Amino acid sequence: MTPIPIIVDCDPGIDDTIALLTAFVSPELEILGITAVCGNQPLEHTVRNALQVCELGQRTDIPVHAGCFRPMLREPIHGQFHGKTGLGNTVLPDPVKRVEDKSAVDFLIDTLTAAAASRKRVTICCLGPMTNVAVALRMTPRIAEGIERIVMMGGAYRESGNRTMTAEFNVLADPHAAHVVFSSGIPIVALALDATHQVMLKPGHVAQFSNVSGRISGTLAELMAFWDRNDVRRYGSRGGPLHDPLVIAYLLAPHLFETERARVFVEHESELCMGQTIADWYGKSGLEPNADIVTKVDAEGVIGFFLDRLSRYAEKAVA
Amino acid sequence: MNRHRIIIDADPGVDDAAAILMALVSPEIDMLGLSVVAGNVPLRDTVTNACKIVGISGRADVPVHAGAQGPLVREQVFGKYAGIGSFSDELVARGGIAPAEEHAVRFIARSARDAAETGEPITICAIGPMTNIALALIQHPDVARGIRQIVSMGGAFTALGHRTPWAEFNIYADPHAAEIVYRSGVPIVVMPLDMTFQALFTTEHYRAFRDRGGAGGGALYNLFSTFDRSDVARFGRPGGPIHDATTIAWLIRPELFTSREATVGTQITGLTMGYTYADFHQKMDRIPNATVVTDVDEIGFINLLIERISLYGKAASGPKTPGG
Repeated sequence: MTPIPIIVDCDPGIDDTIALLTAFVSPELEILGITAVCGNQPLEHTVRNALQVCELGQRTDIPVHAGCFRPMLREPIHGQFHGKTGLGNTVLPDPVKRVEDKSAVDFLIDTLTAAAASRKRVTICCLGPMTNVAVALRMTPRIAEGIERIVMMGGAYRESGNRTMTAEFNVLADPHAAHVVFSSGIPIVALALDATHQVMLKPGHVAQFSNVSGRISGTLAELMAFWDRNDVRRYGSRGGPLHDPLVIAYLLAPHLFETERARVFVEHESELCMGQTIADWYGKSGLEPNADIVTKVDAEGVIGFFLDRLSRYAEKAVA
Repeated sequence: MNRHRIIIDADPGVDDAAAILMALVSPEIDMLGLSVVAGNVPLRDTVTNACKIVGISGRADVPVHAGAQGPLVREQVFGKYAGIGSFSDELVARGGIAPAEEHAVRFIARSARDAAETGEPITICAIGPMTNIALALIQHPDVARGIRQIVSMGGAFTALGHRTPWAEFNIYADPHAAEIVYRSGVPIVVMPLDMTFQALFTTEHYRAFRDRGGAGGGALYNLFSTFDRSDVARFGRPGGPIHDATTIAWLIRPELFTSREATVGTQITGLTMGYTYADFHQKMDRIPNATVVTDVDEIGFINLLIERISLYGKAASGPKTPGG
């Protein structure tokens, strides 16, 4: 089977890290590059964390490109659940691997231009604010022809927001970029809080992951333990929602997910509802759907999927 | 002489042509390149026009870089005189240079980052919608560090707008980009309609371009003859402004202008999108981000532009324009 070429655009971040570690051991995916962006942490941290995670996962062959250091218009905001460095209390060795000279935006444009020419379209996995992708699209709109689809974590539809009453963090951090991406006509799969809040990584799961994940088990358990929101009132249980990793699970195990097609709008004008994502479930806008929104997730199946993938770090030969 | 190292970011456009030709012939200006954006007309046409203008100037050493095809967030709008499209060979002689391969945004980002490293920051004359500049500023903090100032033709304060009742075209066409530039921390020099409306060029001046200005002046005469820029009801007398050329004149002869410091910004939503404000009286309690040029010595500016365009009549330059 030909692997699916992907670019992971991310802001690591604890949940980004789990997503990357899963993608690293999935031979169905060909990771062309990691593009870091300002988000959960300032850019210099997300770049450093991406380099460290590549070393942790022994995938130093994957180029890491630094992206935009700020959102398009709004002042930067950062995540609240990732600790001071973006990796909780986990301290990884200083990275030996270096960030590439080419910027993330230039890498996206060059890679996607080549993909359009060779008709080997690339899937973009967006795990953070979508500034890099939006800037690339505004610079060179025809790169859309090189994108198979965008599978993104962000937004909140029937669910309420996690950073404001109405907005999810990744969209709130750069609502103009999200507007650009959702207006682009590129096929989008949206994993919003509606999906991610269905998959809670509970303390019992953390012990299971710790048991199976071999040489990364200490680090993985530490990261996962830090992820516990300890907010039963909101989530119905202990633990933390497995936001970003669901993007990788969706690519590799789509049968665990149910989607509904709808037109998505991003509020980028009103301060009160800034960053809110609105789905036109019932065709009120008169516009064609532009996204497949994940509405239902087989939570047990997804946890099982990640246990299976991350247990590959216990095997001798890692892909 | 300490020459201004500049990039002109433009959407030619008739008055862009005057600004570009003025810069290319002026010894005070070291032109690093021309970055082109969609604006008055679509990008395809602004690039063609930029290449033709550089062609007739005889400055084939100056690269032209194609940039953004449309604004960052809002839907695209074109200029009032968009009908001109790409300049015909009758207006501006055939023989334009070929555009460079590098994207305009990369060119701006690279030039500014190099300038930040060498400690010789560059000036950007922004005479179209500021999409390219905004896209460069978002990508790396060194881009802002490498820019000494952005001299922006755009905005309108007490003069009110010319594209909508409230908005000047360059800001209206991409208000989000303008706001990114205004808030970037780079010193901004604003050339608003309030000032550009003070210097009105008449047929007599266009004829001076043609009679003294060789190929460059002939092309300008042709371009300014395509439509009547005068608005007697508004200006109270005949004649029309050449907005964009004020940016170059300000670099060469700042004593022709009067300015005030102010906090400048623009409305990015709603009915008044593209409306620009200038807080001249410190009502907002913010450190001013801009030098707003409020007045121009009309005769001095007109004579300076004619003098510079006349230099095209003195040296053998590019191909001759028919009728020019």
